[in-house]
Amino acid sequence: MSPSAQVGEGTHRSIEPFQVSLERFEGPLDLLLHLIRSQDIDIFDIPIARITEQFVRTLEDELEAMPIERAGEFLEMAATLVRIKAQLLLPRPEQPDWEEDPRAELVRRLLEYEHFQDVVHVLEGAEAQRGRHFGKGYVAGRPAPALAPVELELTLADFLSVVARIPEPAPPVEIRPPSQTVTVEEKVSLLRRLLGKAKRVSFDRLFRPWGTRAHAVAALLAALELARQQALRIEQVKPFASIWLLSGDRLRPPAGVDSDETAEGPE
Amino acid sequence: MKVEQIVEATLFASQTPLTADEIARADEVLVAESVVAAIQTLRDEYEGSERAFQIYQLGDGYQVLTRPEYAPYLERFDSVPRAPHLSPAALETLAIIAYRNPIGRIEIEEVRGVSASSVLRTLLDWELVAVVGRGEGLGRPLLYGVTQMFLEHFGLKDLSDLPAPDELPVVLGELQEAMEAEAAVADAEEAGEEVI
Repeated sequence: MSPSAQVGEGTHRSIEPFQVSLERFEGPLDLLLHLIRSQDIDIFDIPIARITEQFVRTLEDELEAMPIERAGEFLEMAATLVRIKAQLLLPRPEQPDWEEDPRAELVRRLLEYEHFQDVVHVLEGAEAQRGRHFGKGYVAGRPAPALAPVELELTLADFLSVVARIPEPAPPVEIRPPSQTVTVEEKVSLLRRLLGKAKRVSFDRLFRPWGTRAHAVAALLAALELARQQALRIEQVKPFASIWLLSGDRLRPPAGVDSDETAEGPE
Repeated sequence: MKVEQIVEATLFASQTPLTADEIARADEVLVAESVVAAIQTLRDEYEGSERAFQIYQLGDGYQVLTRPEYAPYLERFDSVPRAPHLSPAALETLAIIAYRNPIGRIEIEEVRGVSASSVLRTLLDWELVAVVGRGEGLGRPLLYGVTQMFLEHFGLKDLSDLPAPDELPVVLGELQEAMEAEAAVADAEEAGEEVI
C-alpha cells in the first residue's frame, strides 16, 4: 500500500490508519462516519474524492467474504459516493434555483445516523445502569457445599490400561449358510451334560461358541423343551440380564423321552 | 393492617414489575391512587432507613430492586443471571424506534443504511418492540413501537426518561440550519467545485 499524501492540512499520515475491519461497522453509514470523524473532517465539507477512495479501499479486501446482502449495502453507498463526486465535477449552471450541494442529502443522512448513535449511547448507559439493580430471586438461595478438592492421580499408563480393556470392535458378521447343521437333540444332550456337571449354566454357553443363529434357536428350543419336562428352570433377574438355566428336579427323565419329543430340526 | 404493608408484601413477593392496578387487586379497599401513595411512603421509608433496596418504577410497573451500589456484591454469585446485552444492531434499531415511534421497517432501514428485517424479528421475539399499527403507504406497512419490556430492560419510567432529541450532542434541527448556512456561504464564494 502506497503512502498517500492526500491527507491534507500538513499531516503526512499514510492512509493505513484508516484501514479498518468492516466487521466493526454496522453498515456503510457507520463506516463513512468513522472515516470522517477519525480524520477530523468537517462534515459539511466532505472531501468526497478522498473519502470515496478510503471507503472503496476498505471494501476491497473484505467484500468477497461478505454475505451478499451486506455487500450490497456497502456497494450502494460506494455508488452514491461516486455519483456525488461526479455531480461535483460537473459545471454548475448559473440558475439560482440550482439544487443544493449534491453532498447535502448524504450529510443529512450521516447527521441523522450520528444523532441516533448518541441515542444508542444513552440506551447503553441505561442498560448498564439497569444491570446494576437486582430483583428478587436473582441470587441462589444457598451456595452448593464445597466439595473437597480431589487430586487427579492418573498417569498415561493408567489411562492406556483402561483403553486396552475396551474390547476390539467385533469383526463384521459374515452372512453365510450354516456350515454345520445342528439339531435340538444335540442341544438337549449338551444341556443335560452340562447340567449334570454344574448346578447352573448360562444360556449363552449353549450357542455362543458356534456363533450362529441356528445354534441359538436350537439352544432356545432345547431349553424350553427341558423346562417343559421340568428338567431345568430358567431364570432371568431382569430384562436383558443373562439367562441362567438351573438343573431341575427331573434332570434324568425315563429313557426314550429325548428321542420322542425333541425330534424337530433347527430352524 | 395498613395499606403500606399490603403493598410492601405484594411487591416483596413479586419477581416482576407490578402495576398499581395489579397491586390494588390484593384488597378491596385498595385503588390505584392509594397504592401509588403507599409506594411513595414506602420509598421515603426505605430512603430514610438506608435500605439496600428501593421500589423502582419500570414503565407502568413497580418492582423492588437492590440499589446499584450493591451490585458488586451480588455479582460475585455465579448464579446471578445477567440481562443479555443487546447487540449494536439491536440498540441502533431500538434507538430509532424509540424516537420515531411509530415507525415502519423501510424508514428504519433508511436511517441505518442497512436491512433491519432480521433484527426487527429478534426484537419482536424479545417483546422489546411490538406492532402498533399500520402505515398509510403502499401495502399498509406495519408500524413498530417500543414496549413495556423495553422500558423494563432499560430501567425507564417512560420514554420521557430518555433525553429529548434537542438535548443530544448531535441536534438535527440546529445542524440542519448550520448546514444550510454553510451551503449559503459556499454558494456565495462559488467555492463548490474546489471542495473535492
